[in-house]
Amino acid sequence: MAYLSVEGVGKEFPGVKALDGVSLELSLGEVHTLAGENGAGKSTLVKILTGTERPTQGRVLIDGRDPQQDRALFKTIAYVPQEINLFTNLSVAENLFMPFSRSHAGRWLFDRRGLEARTRPWLERFKIAAQPSDKVRDISISDQQLLQIARACTQETMKVLILDEPTSSLTDTEVARVFEVVRDVIAANCAVVFISHKFDEMFEISDVISVLRNGRKIATRAVGELDHRELVTLMSGQEVDITARMQPEGPLGDVLLKVEGLCGQGFEEVSFELRRGEILGFAGLVGARRSEVMQTLFGFLPARAGRATLAGEPWRLGDPHYSVAHGLFYLSEERKYHGIFPGQSVRRNIGMALLRDTSRWGVIDAGRERREVARIIADYEIKTPTMARNIALLSGGNQQKAIIGRAMACAPRVLIFDEPTKGIDLRTKMEIYRLMKALAERGVGVVLVSSEMEELKRCASRIVTMYEGRVSGEFDITDASSSALVAAIHGQRRDDHAA
Amino acid sequence: MLRRMMGFMVLNPLSGVIAVLAIIVLVASLLSPNFLTSYNMMIIARSLAFIGLITIAQSMLMILGELDLSLGAIGGFCGVIGGILMVQVGLPPWLAFALCLLIGALFGLVNGLLVTLLRLPSLVLTIGMAGVYGGLNLVLTRGVAITGIPSSIGFLGTGRWLGLPIPFWIMLVFLAIASFITLKTPFGRYMYAVGSNAPAARMLGIHVDRVRVGVFAFAGFLAALAGMLMVARLGSAQPSIGDSWVLGPIAAAVIGGVPTTGGIGTPLGAIFGAAIIGVIENIIVLFGISPYWQSMVSGAIVVLAISLDAISRRYFKRE
Repeated sequence: MAYLSVEGVGKEFPGVKALDGVSLELSLGEVHTLAGENGAGKSTLVKILTGTERPTQGRVLIDGRDPQQDRALFKTIAYVPQEINLFTNLSVAENLFMPFSRSHAGRWLFDRRGLEARTRPWLERFKIAAQPSDKVRDISISDQQLLQIARACTQETMKVLILDEPTSSLTDTEVARVFEVVRDVIAANCAVVFISHKFDEMFEISDVISVLRNGRKIATRAVGELDHRELVTLMSGQEVDITARMQPEGPLGDVLLKVEGLCGQGFEEVSFELRRGEILGFAGLVGARRSEVMQTLFGFLPARAGRATLAGEPWRLGDPHYSVAHGLFYLSEERKYHGIFPGQSVRRNIGMALLRDTSRWGVIDAGRERREVARIIADYEIKTPTMARNIALLSGGNQQKAIIGRAMACAPRVLIFDEPTKGIDLRTKMEIYRLMKALAERGVGVVLVSSEMEELKRCASRIVTMYEGRVSGEFDITDASSSALVAAIHGQRRDDHAA
Repeated sequence: MLRRMMGFMVLNPLSGVIAVLAIIVLVASLLSPNFLTSYNMMIIARSLAFIGLITIAQSMLMILGELDLSLGAIGGFCGVIGGILMVQVGLPPWLAFALCLLIGALFGLVNGLLVTLLRLPSLVLTIGMAGVYGGLNLVLTRGVAITGIPSSIGFLGTGRWLGLPIPFWIMLVFLAIASFITLKTPFGRYMYAVGSNAPAARMLGIHVDRVRVGVFAFAGFLAALAGMLMVARLGSAQPSIGDSWVLGPIAAAVIGGVPTTGGIGTPLGAIFGAAIIGVIENIIVLFGISPYWQSMVSGAIVVLAISLDAISRRYFKRE
């Protein structure tokens, strides 16, 4: 019998129907994946399952009872959000057992030693390489991700664990750790709801996959009855070619960007060349310092040594204003922290980069700004009801398109994409790939930093690999073997590998 | 329909604060025949002029996510310097006035540079700077007012035009300038960008620190202007001029829709917030409430006003 059943659930927000008549069942001991593009209704459904939103139609039954009458039932549902949501200045042990009231950590006096002792088995079980007393800000991102899951599991009443894109910032080895934990949880007769945009992961871990599209449930299938292609078609409602190569075509041009011996925060002696008409990929593990290299080149982080030239001209490091004025843009993987201006309208967010064109004698021409922004919204198919909408309320994919559109409006010469498709659905992903390809073919230098090997192989013309702050290899896509690439990412130099 | 209109009004930050102001004015005029007299309106306008200038300055800083707690001290100190330049040095009043505004801008600039170069939180830094400017003020005056301010600048403080005090008109002019800067110029957009996400602003190549320093300097300029107008009005440079200009403008800005976290709100909204506080304080005096109760009552009404605003906003958002 199903532990949790969703019966014809709908949720209407003013003007939007986020969910419409969704029914599904969740049994103990199985991993149920929710698949769907951004805006399909996955997060609304999760909010209803965790009790943060009430359905406007239908009902949810937990263990045969309605949790709206008995809210204690929601305590059997543990939720791990996509973003890291920890107290970074507190210790691992404190984070694990927060709030202390449910963990018997001492009701009145704080028993630090006892808490830390009880933390150790959890760290072992989840293979977290940290001490209970370590501050969370000092442990790695993947350990933080696992700690979040562990924290959800400390809820003794847990029967259902909801994981919202737990792997989006993890590498393959780390994903394997998460999956081990998921299998553990399943073995303890709990159910797992898994949300991801990565197909390989869905097929590897799921028992059942339910597909949502535009707020409706399209299908629920056992994982054996479904293949890759069919899933994509169900999710997007149309056939999408997920294997097409997206390398730019046409002749390679001259060297556009040349970096020599760049040293900065955590990396040494990084050199590479970017030619016109190519997409240069950067591969590496989390912590390989690829983002730091790019941010240093852009001027956001200070450089200790090294130099660069753009189209033969010497490049000034350490000044983002100079970089933007000279056509080098960096699109951060941290949209929330480095990309959007939350609380500001879509119009202001996009308009921010157009001010040189939309203002005359120091005054913004509102009509002109509206026209320019409307053009970008149309060109990049940014889905927003009006341009006055707060950008933080758009889906991640649409935020990303807004940021890309904004940079494109500045006539860039070099665009650095740092994990541009993180947390973005397939169709939007394809649009971003097409965009990068078109850019490169127009002679803009494109750098693509990505942790997804598939993405790099599909898009990049050449791949530079980094390991612990140094360049560990460079591969032309036509003769790059997977094993050589993987070896380079894990720090074995190409020649070591051959030997 | 009515409900939707009310929802729109409550969600639009400006209409909310205007509605609160209208209600307070309505209640006051019903309760006291002395409230809606032209004499009383002039009194309110005059006090709003000085507090208003500081509120404009503070709200622009708050849009950036910064605060300057030394604005009152800058205003007071600049007033005193103005008095010294006019009376003891004997500079022409207009020259002294202009010099003081420059000095105010310079103090603001120093605050801004310390905040940006040393990466200090502006709250702590400006508490310290308030001590420095206020202390210098006492060193120069020994706490004694400088009298004998030339009467040629007196009309700036005491004169009227169309029945309203000149300082009030000056405040309106600077409100217009501040609104123009924040809403119509690229610099204003950068202010909102820095306030809502400074790293993202840097990523777009915006000179984040220059924006900050610029607004700090402008705020210092406005504080000095308020101080000098007060000197002109009183006919003497009192060392205590800016003492009450510290917390009121911050509360006014918050009431008017500029949170201390930055990124949203307008100077115009903040001025309406200042008007609410000004009217409340006026009512307390009009009703003859005992002076011992005054600050407690005005504080309580401010808390009530912002609570009502927050509750109604949440209610209509949920709809």
